[in-house]
Amino acid sequence: MLTFLILLPVITALVILAIPGHYRFIIRCVALLGTLETAIWAAVLFFRSVPGTPDYQFEQLVPWISAGGLHVNYHVGIDGISVGLVLAAAWVGFAATAVSWDVERESKMFYILLMLMISGSIGAFASLDLFFFYFFNEMALVPTFIMIGVWGWGTDRQAAAFRITLYLTLGALVALVGLVALYAATGTLDVTELQRQLAGHPLPRKTQMLVFPCLLFGFGTLVGLWPFHSWAPQGYASAPAATAMMHAGILKKAGLLALLRVAWPFLPDAVEYWMPVLAWLCLGNLLFCGFVALRQRDLNLLVGNSSLAHMGFAFLGLASMNVIGLTGTVLVMVGHAFLAGLSFALTGWVRHQTGTVEMLRLGGLLRTMPFVGSMMILCFLAGCGVPGFVNFAGELGVLFGAWKGTVYSLHGWVLAAAWGGLVIGGVYMMRAIRLVLHGEPKREWADVSDATSGWRRLPFVALLAALVLFGVAPGILTRRIEPAVVAIIKMAGQRAQPAAPLGATAAMQR
Amino acid sequence: MDSHILEHAADSGSRLQDLAWMVLFAPLIAAAGSYIFLRRDRSLTAGFNIAAVALSFLLSGVLFAAFAGQNVAGSPFSWLPVAGLEVSFGLRLDNLSLLMLLVVTGVALLVMLFSTGYMHEDPGYSRFFCTLSLFVFSMLGIVLADNFVMMFVFWELVGVSSYLLIGFWYDRGAAADAAKKAFLTNRLGDFGFLLGILLIWSATGTVHFGSAEAFLLAHPLALGSTASLAGVLIFMGAMGKSAQFPLHVWLPDAMEGPTPVSALIHAATMVAAGVYMLCRVFFLYTLPAGWPDWLGFLQGIPASSIIAWIGGMTALLAALIAVQQNDIKRILAYSTLSQLGLMVLAVGLGAQLRAPNAGAAMFHLVTHASFKALLFLGAGSVIHACHHEQDIWKMGGLWQRMPVTFVTFLVGTLALMGVPLFSGFYSKDDILATSLEAAPVLFGLVVLVSVLTTFYMGRLLLVAFLGRPRGSGAGQALESPPTMTGPLIMLALPSVFSGWQIFGVSQFLTRHFWPTFQVHELDPLFGPFNHNPTAAMFGFAAVLFGTSLAAWLYVGAERDPLPGLIGRLARAMRHRFYFDEIYEATVVPLHDGIAAIAGWFDRWVISGLFVRGLPGTVEIAGRALRLVQTGNLQTYGLWFAAGAALLAVLALKK
Repeated sequence: MLTFLILLPVITALVILAIPGHYRFIIRCVALLGTLETAIWAAVLFFRSVPGTPDYQFEQLVPWISAGGLHVNYHVGIDGISVGLVLAAAWVGFAATAVSWDVERESKMFYILLMLMISGSIGAFASLDLFFFYFFNEMALVPTFIMIGVWGWGTDRQAAAFRITLYLTLGALVALVGLVALYAATGTLDVTELQRQLAGHPLPRKTQMLVFPCLLFGFGTLVGLWPFHSWAPQGYASAPAATAMMHAGILKKAGLLALLRVAWPFLPDAVEYWMPVLAWLCLGNLLFCGFVALRQRDLNLLVGNSSLAHMGFAFLGLASMNVIGLTGTVLVMVGHAFLAGLSFALTGWVRHQTGTVEMLRLGGLLRTMPFVGSMMILCFLAGCGVPGFVNFAGELGVLFGAWKGTVYSLHGWVLAAAWGGLVIGGVYMMRAIRLVLHGEPKREWADVSDATSGWRRLPFVALLAALVLFGVAPGILTRRIEPAVVAIIKMAGQRAQPAAPLGATAAMQR
Repeated sequence: MDSHILEHAADSGSRLQDLAWMVLFAPLIAAAGSYIFLRRDRSLTAGFNIAAVALSFLLSGVLFAAFAGQNVAGSPFSWLPVAGLEVSFGLRLDNLSLLMLLVVTGVALLVMLFSTGYMHEDPGYSRFFCTLSLFVFSMLGIVLADNFVMMFVFWELVGVSSYLLIGFWYDRGAAADAAKKAFLTNRLGDFGFLLGILLIWSATGTVHFGSAEAFLLAHPLALGSTASLAGVLIFMGAMGKSAQFPLHVWLPDAMEGPTPVSALIHAATMVAAGVYMLCRVFFLYTLPAGWPDWLGFLQGIPASSIIAWIGGMTALLAALIAVQQNDIKRILAYSTLSQLGLMVLAVGLGAQLRAPNAGAAMFHLVTHASFKALLFLGAGSVIHACHHEQDIWKMGGLWQRMPVTFVTFLVGTLALMGVPLFSGFYSKDDILATSLEAAPVLFGLVVLVSVLTTFYMGRLLLVAFLGRPRGSGAGQALESPPTMTGPLIMLALPSVFSGWQIFGVSQFLTRHFWPTFQVHELDPLFGPFNHNPTAAMFGFAAVLFGTSLAAWLYVGAERDPLPGLIGRLARAMRHRFYFDEIYEATVVPLHDGIAAIAGWFDRWVISGLFVRGLPGTVEIAGRALRLVQTGNLQTYGLWFAAGAALLAVLALKK
């Protein structure tokens, strides 16, 4: 079933390939049908997954290469952590396809690339073999670069595409070095095999210390860990709405998932050693990016920076290293997937209608586009952590988890995170609403159109519905997440060296 | 009580209790349902929402009858189940929440009825009623919450619905700014609230009121050196919602919202949430004081006395400011601030004295809810009749033209002044008595506030309603339609009677804090004079003094004579003691400055050096090298020496 889900967008892409490029309407219909079906099956998968167990479900293993000491298998399966992400990938994928009605140039190619992105992200979330994880991740990354360069906005989109390519490729390479080193130490890239092998026999500390920084900074760059984040806002501002939605919402989470799947359970000593560094860097996301967001005049740059600030919560949860914090992180990941998707869909609408996202030029849009405007208000409220949306539940989990901190107490960090999320987040979100939506309607934008038909509204409503559903009942997610997180913590409990390293403690006390 | 009755109560309780969920959710269902499906039909939307709130009110009455004097709590819905942090949603029914339910739903119902007339011509009519219902839902959530997290959730939702209602006329820049300001100021308070919750959770291991209270009763020192800090942090939440100094600046601006909103949210309910919350977590403030080392200079000062002083300061400042405001809604807004300050002061002092005085704050909250809602709706009626004129100096002579509004407004005014026989007299007397017992300095302050209250309300009444009309609007004013005067009359009744001892509001609340409390003698009307004659006499004298002062200055006045008498002070009062200006000159630039630095750093250092990196760094390096490669032997020598010195330093350091 998972394989089917991964292949559905690819099949859709193949069908589109067969259609002549000037039948734009048919191409669009095919893409929509394909992604809608993916979304529906992902929902079925989500609700058929059994909560309360750490086991991988819907597992499938096809031996592929097994020669000369190289073992690579096609191995997919989901646990409570990835099931929410798969769902989000399919839904945001559908929404991204649905809001792409304004792509007119080379639309055939555009949709094919988008399908590859969707398929790649679902594949990356579902892979239990790190080789395939990496493969799927790259399969989704490469279209991102092309889409920004070809269909992007603004005059400096080439530069943005160049920068994002450079950064993410370097990040992925560094992560690859880490994965290869892990392979060299264990002889396998299969997550379940690693679990079996390392249970009771943790990796030597030296190996861990070698592998972990590569993974942290490699995958960290993919997620936008400070100070390796600056590709993100500019990249998203230049990207077409669909690409920004898929990348910011979905693809970014692959890096976090890899850290959670590989680094945290298998490299616990290194995690503990590097934890203070991670804690300091995530302050960069939480506060620094928040303050930078305050300065933005471009709505997309603001959303991009706020999305980096949200990643700070995810990293803080990781740094807490306990069940509450890690569960909170996963909630933040899922919540942010839907939220970033919705945000970029909405700013994309505004940009298409008005041709600008300069906040000072916009204004009074709530009067002229009541539906999109109200959606945007709800979306921005979710972005500054208002209850009722899943992001709040996640941030709450992270704060509680980090407050308790297993190895070190992170009280100061919680203080900063709460300030960043509640106050700074509130300030820039309120400012955006005030400048873009509230106030006197400007004559310049008198004839912009709102999303009036049900079909146009569907992608927005679908994403908002997910935010609200999981926000009102986060238990649906946490009952699935928690057992998987407990397993990670249990695995991480087996240290190569029990004592906390000196340097780390000193850094924390400072 | 024998076991049989207990069993019976539990049995019938388990079914009746579930009504509380209906009380809570009826307004939400109405808001969401009618916004999505009925929005186009104005009157149907309004009717549906009013019916839902009416249902909530009726069911609250049933619950009141069934559960008065009991303490029922259940947490059937697990909201965020993670090992170590079990957050479930449950409702708590006790004297505190039962009475508050009636106040919230009752005032909300009357305000909604009033709005059918007041908002009749507004194009956003449907949206208005849906948002009001959403607010009622959030507020009821605060009232019924049985744990900190749930209270925080609804706390934030109240903030959001208040944001939506203040910014109801979002086209107007002032309204949109006021909404933003209210939301952000509240956020500052919530920041502290959340940290307080974390402190309590990490000390007691629970976020539920019941278990936290039980735990702290058993281990009063569990919070140790953070006891007072936690108390003050939690109080920060109340400071935001109840607009206490220094977070009070949003409330007067919130008057940009429609007047019924001001009546419901910014007078009777939302701003009272802070006081309610303090009473809910009262057990925190009876703990022994304790501060962490870095706050050692506060050693020995309990959180409750900080609360009392902040309340007292707010009460005094706001009363002074109210004296020199000319906008009818602003006068009432500052009066609300001042009265909230008194309630907060009463909570703080009550916590020092323990029972039975703790009920005073809630008592005043209840009476204040009715008479302040009445005053705001009365002001709304006046504003409506005077074609949206809000300046009292352009009114005058309204008593003849709007008799019903005038009489009910008069009732509200007398209640607020604390004239005997009106509800405010009894509740304010409770506060006076409490402060006399606990802190004589604060007693003096409360008396002074009472004088000022009487004075500014006298001024308002004399200038706006008596004298002769001074504006075209006032000259043509006509009495409002029955949809608006009806609710005024309905609110006038509790404004008179809710303080009377026969209705037992005060005793009912006192029993929440002190279950065994018994009333000794039932003195229907003049109890305060027997119970604590000094306090009552001072209160009464304050009323007389303030009234005569107002009468002396304002009978027949055409302009405000006060600025001529006290000059600069009057100007400071009119400019609200420059708080907004001070914040604008300090807090705002501070954040802007940090943001500017961060933005610069992001742009030029992180992006500039690391990223535009490849070409950029090469060029910078090239230029730097050009500086170095001067071809001058002396320069090379200097660099060589510097390098050697650096190496030596590094080597020695190791």
